Amino acid sequence: MAFYILKRLLAIIPTLLGVAVLIFLLLRVVPGDVVEARYMGEGGQFQSQDLMQLERKKLGLDQPLWKQFTTWMAGLARLDFGISMWTGAPITEEIKLRFALSLQLAIMASTIATLLAIPLGILAAIKQDTWVDYAVRVFSIAGLAMPSFWLGILMILGMLIIFKWLPPMVFTPLWVNPWENLAQLIWPALAVGYRYSAVGTRMMRSAMLEVLREDYIRTARAKGLWLKLILSRHALKNAILPVLTVISLEFAFLLGGLVVTEQVFNLNGLGMLFVEGIARRDYTLTQALVMLVATFFLIVNFVVDIAYAWLDPRIRYR
Amino acid sequence: MAAIPQTVEALTRAAEPREGLRAAVGDFIRQRPLGAVGAAIILVMVALAATANFIAPSDPLETDYAAMLSAPGAEHWLGTDAYGRDVLSRVIYGSRTALMVGLGASLIGAVFGALIGVGSAYFGGRVDLVVQRVMDVFFAFPVIILALAVVAILGTGVGNVILAIATPMVPRCARVVRASALAVREMPYVDAARAAGFGHRRIILRHMLPNVMAPLLIMATAFLGEAILLESSLSFLGLGVQEPIAAWGLMLRGAAVEFAESAPWMAFFPGLAISLAVFGFNLFGDSLRDALDPRLRTQ
Repeated sequence: MAFYILKRLLAIIPTLLGVAVLIFLLLRVVPGDVVEARYMGEGGQFQSQDLMQLERKKLGLDQPLWKQFTTWMAGLARLDFGISMWTGAPITEEIKLRFALSLQLAIMASTIATLLAIPLGILAAIKQDTWVDYAVRVFSIAGLAMPSFWLGILMILGMLIIFKWLPPMVFTPLWVNPWENLAQLIWPALAVGYRYSAVGTRMMRSAMLEVLREDYIRTARAKGLWLKLILSRHALKNAILPVLTVISLEFAFLLGGLVVTEQVFNLNGLGMLFVEGIARRDYTLTQALVMLVATFFLIVNFVVDIAYAWLDPRIRYR
Repeated sequence: MAAIPQTVEALTRAAEPREGLRAAVGDFIRQRPLGAVGAAIILVMVALAATANFIAPSDPLETDYAAMLSAPGAEHWLGTDAYGRDVLSRVIYGSRTALMVGLGASLIGAVFGALIGVGSAYFGGRVDLVVQRVMDVFFAFPVIILALAVVAILGTGVGNVILAIATPMVPRCARVVRASALAVREMPYVDAARAAGFGHRRIILRHMLPNVMAPLLIMATAFLGEAILLESSLSFLGLGVQEPIAAWGLMLRGAAVEFAESAPWMAFFPGLAISLAVFGFNLFGDSLRDALDPRLRTQ
């Protein structure tokens, strides 16, 4: 087991290196750089080329690509993300609060998704091909179909009309004022959680359907066990693994993938920061963000794999 | 009494199940009512897109500053936007953009995904290993982040948005296709083709690719809805299709949010159109998968 864990952990490194190379090159292919983005924006076409060259030199943009890359890698190895090319502040500072926001939103949304998916999926499976099954499937597929930004607009509109209340526009961290924080984040969490519950519900339904056809379920039924007991003791245990996998993997993506939801609810999360970073050609910040999101994803992936091997005795460690 | 079949041909003909497109469609509707609803929504959308010039009440680009932000009524059934453009016409024309981007992105994603997936499985060994590691790298990016990065490089506009949406689809498609192709590779007919001295390209394209079409088709259908959603997200962020082209996500941007309280129709109807379209494709794709995956059939 220990060997398996170590092997899987080491496999993360080449993937991360690949991510680093890819985002590094992608960003350099984007036309323009941070100096142009800054000075061209405000009628700065008249800025002298010399000054811009000087700025580039200060940021290390005049160095050859391989040198820029190795400098960055050397920093990463020491967990030093460097400073933002746009603001000049340490990237750790830039990201800290936004990471807290995005992580909390991802956790809340995944919790809502799980709470919706498991009971609904089981219900749909037991009542396969009845109106209950259809209703659950329509509900979940509708969730998948509605863009979360539209759902967000409708929610905000609804609150405005019914309660004459708007969610606060400035983010309050959980540790400052938990009540205000939750009042603000519960709405985007609901919009996102409902949407992501759909995949979980479908997975729960099909996993449950598959398990319910197994021989040991028939045996349990033949023994005259209650349906409830069969479901909770025999079926759920075997069907829940893929569902938890799907929800965990989605959880990993929610950290950086909620660009549009953040925009609607006016939240300054990692997604919006990514859009800003690209628009400003802030290489260092954008690279750090992508590495953060990718690392998070790979680690969640790794934990899911290990949990799988640990929970399901049929899986052997290789 | 029915006549007893006399010839061998007649016997085999009688033993064959009644096939044909009509019977298949009938079965699908009866056994999968939800899938049929999805198919109906898709058909309506395609019809709207195809006949937009004839059925849209007005030009989607025509501005009427006298009728800015007017509420739904006899003149403008779904109201007008901040430039006085007819919302209904823009929603109808928007189906063109959505279909174009959805089909384009799915097609490109499926073609490249299939080629990479089958190729990776066919060559196996070191090639497979390298391809899989590269795919892993792409998997570590959230879909929208990857799409945004491509848009940043290529710029906005319909064509670039199609490429941006197809990019994250390629590795997803490749993974699914590779899994099926690994099984196909072990089939005797692939060995036979190799023994007959056919080239790699011919074996991949003529012998293996046709046999992984089912999962590919399911994948592509499922991705159509996803692509439409992604296009509307990019357009909503202002990084997708650009004004004045009629696109649903674009209609939800800017003024639609600003005036959401006083002119809710501006935000409501395009969002409804997106939801319905994606809903249709998802319902259809789901039923298609259920129908093709025998393990999930009702007993």
